[in-house]
Amino acid sequence: MEPPPLRAAVPAGVAAAEEAWAAPAWVPTRALGRTVLLTGLLLVLGVALGRVDLVLLAAPFAVGAAIGLRRMPRSAPELTIDADEEHVVEGGRVAAGLTVANPDVITYDLVVVRARTSPWLELENADRPFAITVAPDGWTGVELPGAALRWGRHDVGPAAARVAACGGLLACRPVVTPPRGVRVFPETEPFAATEAMPAAAGLVGNHRSRRPGEGGELAGVRPFAPGDRLRRIDWRVSLRTRDLHVASTLSDRDAEVLLLLDVLGEAGTSEGVKGRASVLDTTVRAAAAIAEHYLQRGDRVSLLEYGSSARRLRPATGRRQYLTVLEWLLDVRADTGGVQGPHEHVFGAHHVSPDALVVVLTPLVDPRSADMLAGLTQSGRYTVAVDTLPAGAAPPIRGPLTPLATRLWRMERENVLGRLREHGVPVVTWAGTGSLDLVLRDVSRLASAPRGR
Amino acid sequence: MLDGVNRRIERTRRAVARATPLPLMVRCGLGLVFFAAMTVAWPSGVVASRYVVALGLVAAYPAFAPRGRGVTFAILVVVGGWILDTTGGDARVALWRVLSIATLLYLGHTLAALAAVLPHDAIVNADVVATWLARALLVVLISAVLTVIALGLTAELAGDPFVIATLVGLGAAVGTTLLLARMLRRA
Repeated sequence: MEPPPLRAAVPAGVAAAEEAWAAPAWVPTRALGRTVLLTGLLLVLGVALGRVDLVLLAAPFAVGAAIGLRRMPRSAPELTIDADEEHVVEGGRVAAGLTVANPDVITYDLVVVRARTSPWLELENADRPFAITVAPDGWTGVELPGAALRWGRHDVGPAAARVAACGGLLACRPVVTPPRGVRVFPETEPFAATEAMPAAAGLVGNHRSRRPGEGGELAGVRPFAPGDRLRRIDWRVSLRTRDLHVASTLSDRDAEVLLLLDVLGEAGTSEGVKGRASVLDTTVRAAAAIAEHYLQRGDRVSLLEYGSSARRLRPATGRRQYLTVLEWLLDVRADTGGVQGPHEHVFGAHHVSPDALVVVLTPLVDPRSADMLAGLTQSGRYTVAVDTLPAGAAPPIRGPLTPLATRLWRMERENVLGRLREHGVPVVTWAGTGSLDLVLRDVSRLASAPRGR
Repeated sequence: MLDGVNRRIERTRRAVARATPLPLMVRCGLGLVFFAAMTVAWPSGVVASRYVVALGLVAAYPAFAPRGRGVTFAILVVVGGWILDTTGGDARVALWRVLSIATLLYLGHTLAALAAVLPHDAIVNADVVATWLARALLVVLISAVLTVIALGLTAELAGDPFVIATLVGLGAAVGTTLLLARMLRRA
């Protein structure tokens, strides 16, 4: 018996069909339709009326079509978006550009290219379309220089190009290119804290700890004991007392700093690097400044979002960690989820190392933030709250009672701040250098006391 | 309805505020070219009368809507005026008028094709318009040569223009058919 003939598992011509589908669609324009209509009509009229002048009126249309369509376009234009890969800091210059390449054998008479850009990138003429020509097998670029107004990941694009060729008789369907991201790092406000860390935990570092050991900070003078190094002997005291004494020092340790970013809400208006700052602006810039300061001093810095996503950056030290912190901060978004987010169960004091200094950057707008702060302090963590609410922040006026409601809300917030201070949570308004010195001193003092909790 | 009108006025105001010089010049040129074609094609009596306002409106409409059918309509009005003048008005078929009308109609047509794809607020490289106009002038030049030769031949064979028209017409029809067939095969 003859076996049935085998057939190919893959239907023939699939690739060809896909290629045809993906091929650029050059479509006739209304101008081509008009050319055909007028040429035909004038020829018919010329023949019917026996008028050579009518035929001659049609001549430019026919000649124009013949010249235009003697070579047809075959491929689509290639549109690329170029954007800065460098480290751009908000307020700095950004160089972006659009490039249209013509892989075809005919000139693109007109390419209209336009791009949508993030409102935080102030690019020159980015809101206007550009009309250019592109030579065959060549490319034409459009420069979009400008400035970055605010930190974050900002898109240049999507961009679209529409091409008219053959004297406007044929047009290509728009070619769209996906956006290209520009990373704009926050401008770090100058920050320095001279106060000691409340608890230095590691074995190396340059904070004077509260524990005796090898270090540079004099803790006191005590009688010589077996095991003391000879170069530690304080000869002056030893001669006076007629007994050997040594100078004891405090050990130098590093510390862990946890920056807890409250992203439960956004408030205030963000006007970029030169204007007013919103809550998230202050949060991100302050976090970058604090992280830079402590990382430069050799401390370990970790970050955590207080929100439904609860993103976390593991503690580490050094310049590499600083760059990671900046990159991590670019993705900070306000949590616009429901009132009872899942983070209620995600975040807890057990996530925070007992020896870490916790700097909570919070606008204290959401009651959950105050609860979290109180919880951290109750569990014995060294907590400092940085108030990030802008001075003039107020809800939008929706009615005659809004100002009254705003006043009530402000009073309630002051009340919350007062109660937090009563609970031992220092709350300080962010003001750059020295913002945390006063409160860090208090926290250090508390830390040096015996922990009896 | 008032809201709609206000919105439209606001949209127009915004469009005018954003307009850039070159697209604006292209559109103005389009309107002027069609108006010039009207004045050449229509009988001088009509052009001198108050009907010139209507002709001006028809000529100006494509400048505002170059993507619509207004361009075809304006060209047909010009051709209609020409036929009216040379048939009913009994005017002579002068070479300069045929040349002017053919040139102006093609210029209007190609400027409309450019204005249709050129956004009014675009930043335009000057070479776009220059290349476009250069090609149009080349086309116009070739057509003018053809016109002069054809009308010369008609004058030589005075009394039998019908044959010339038929021959040229048939030749052009065959050429156009071949062109369209080729275009459709490739498109």
